[in-house]
Amino acid sequence: MTGGKSRHPDLATELERDPVYLVRTAAFDGPIELLVTLAQRAEVDLGAIPLASLTDDYLRAIEQERPPLDRLAAFLVIGARLVQLKAAALMPEAQMGEEEDLQAWEEAIKGRLEEYKRFKALAESLMRRHASGRFTFAGLLEPDVIPQARVQVSLDALASAFQQVLDRLPPPGPVTVEMEQVSLADKLEELRQMLGHQPQMNFTAVFRHARTRLEAVVTFLALLELIRIGEARVAQVSAFGEISVHRQEKNDQA
Amino acid sequence: MTSMVESATQVRDTAGLMAALEAVLFTLNRPVTVLELQEILQSTLPDIEAAAVTLSQALSGRGLFLQRHQDQLQLVTDPAQADVVRRVLRPEYPSRLSPAAYETLAIIAYRQPLTRARIEEVRGVNCEGVLESLEEKGLIEETGRLDAPGTPRLFGTTMKFLQILGLSSLDELPPPPQSASTTS
Repeated sequence: MTGGKSRHPDLATELERDPVYLVRTAAFDGPIELLVTLAQRAEVDLGAIPLASLTDDYLRAIEQERPPLDRLAAFLVIGARLVQLKAAALMPEAQMGEEEDLQAWEEAIKGRLEEYKRFKALAESLMRRHASGRFTFAGLLEPDVIPQARVQVSLDALASAFQQVLDRLPPPGPVTVEMEQVSLADKLEELRQMLGHQPQMNFTAVFRHARTRLEAVVTFLALLELIRIGEARVAQVSAFGEISVHRQEKNDQA
Repeated sequence: MTSMVESATQVRDTAGLMAALEAVLFTLNRPVTVLELQEILQSTLPDIEAAAVTLSQALSGRGLFLQRHQDQLQLVTDPAQADVVRRVLRPEYPSRLSPAAYETLAIIAYRQPLTRARIEEVRGVNCEGVLESLEEKGLIEETGRLDAPGTPRLFGTTMKFLQILGLSSLDELPPPPQSASTTS
């Protein structure tokens, strides 16, 4: 993972929005994380970090990963401290005061590393528990819940039916630069009217007026919106059968 | 068995209070504070606490589950029934979080209430973005302000945090880390 902006423009934007995520994907979890990871790689306990190889790894990591400047700066502090520690170890006759300072600092950093490691382990147990999907639910339908009765079709079936609609449309021709005006609001109104005339229709019929992919996509979005707000529902009578779209009265929650 | 007259005037026993508590939690269908419950049930705090414990035990092996976060109680579905409920509801629950988010959640869960500075001290990185997204997802919330310069916000977990982990309360979390070096 290089995190090169030119190669992954989307990713770069995503990363800028969430600095912590950036840290993760660049394999740099901040100074503490780096230390833990490197220490683990060298297979030593935190009580005896081989500083020479650690700083080598650290420098190599900087060389390869090229973290952003602020991360780099944060690492430099730790790096300098590590070198300082190493120097103190090599020169046992260093001044007592400094020695004690270093000792205290070393103790402090070790304590923090231990603490961080414990939370990292706890975080993993939370993640496993969350991934097990054993959620609890309140009884009321929350606004972000779409009742099953409105979507009696598997999402895969719905997606593949839409793909068929798209496949039927002519392939994109030579590029004509022309701003197309297809608004979701218009399509919503159009769908409402269609369902008003015809309370039940085939899925493909919904798209009979769509001439371009953009128009089909906006129509599909409008359909999903109608399902969400409870004005339509979709059903599939048999497996692989045609999906049908039904008008639904708005106050009919079922 | 006491006489009809007697039982009607008698202070409700725990079983009766438990049933009333269950009915109230079922109809309100949201987190309810014990303070509210005292008023609704015309009862005392210790009696409500006792009724909550009894209700929680009585629901063992049933489809419903009593959840408790701080001073709030809520009646929800049992974590063991999550699959069947999901088939009916299609709820939009946060499915997977980033490792940074789980770390931050773990720190908050075990050390709450605490400030962002304290979280960053443990993680060693800036946590502003993670905290923002966890708050947006309703998994953490501001529980107050620290009485210190700048009165920084204090963070704590929410009922929803328990819900995505299927925990009856924070007490059900894995044993907390023994802190060797930490102060508050």
